Amino acid sequence: MEDIAAHIMAKYNYWIYVVLMMIGFYAMIGKRNLVKKLLGMNIFQTSIILFFISTGAKKGGSIPILDKYAALQGAVDVNQVVNPLPHVLMLTAIVVGVSVTGVALAVMQRIYRKYGTLEEDEILLKIENE
Amino acid sequence: MKSLALLATLVTGALLLYGTADFAAWGDPQSPPNRNISVHYVEQAVKETHVPNIVTAVLGDYRGYDTMFELVVIYSAGMAVMGILRRREDQ
Repeated sequence: MEDIAAHIMAKYNYWIYVVLMMIGFYAMIGKRNLVKKLLGMNIFQTSIILFFISTGAKKGGSIPILDKYAALQGAVDVNQVVNPLPHVLMLTAIVVGVSVTGVALAVMQRIYRKYGTLEEDEILLKIENE
Repeated sequence: MKSLALLATLVTGALLLYGTADFAAWGDPQSPPNRNISVHYVEQAVKETHVPNIVTAVLGDYRGYDTMFELVVIYSAGMAVMGILRRREDQ
């Protein structure tokens, strides 16, 4: 029992991301409002971004901005600097996420203009009655 | 319908939590992502690019094309939004 608790405490960050991701997942498949679905997708995305950032964390590490002259001499302790690569890659993911959110909101506005509602079941009903 | 969604969510969450058993512990400097290619970037980025901020060095130097073509993504998204939201005369 003690072992399992220690095991969970060493990896508690993953539990947070799984919970966040499942909140987003439930919002995407369980809700009927399109805006809520989109917000769910954003929460999902945030949890993945947090997960990737956390893989680069190091205990006691500082930010990946080095003293230039010391680094040119080769005096860099890798364990004292957090991993910069996840930060860079997630910057790209954030840009794509913003684009997707923008286009999705535009499509929703168009849907609202045509059907006067953003509730999925009401839209389906109106499509059937056309 | 809602209970089905909840069930799917719980099952997926349990599977993901089961999968975390193989991941490295939080903040471990010797975890696989921190041990392999990133060591080269931390040690050599300043020598190769003369940029003290490693994130900037990777974004603007090693992955310069990626950053440049990210503009295409933003541009396409902007064009798509304009095309979707434009009102014609007869509407």
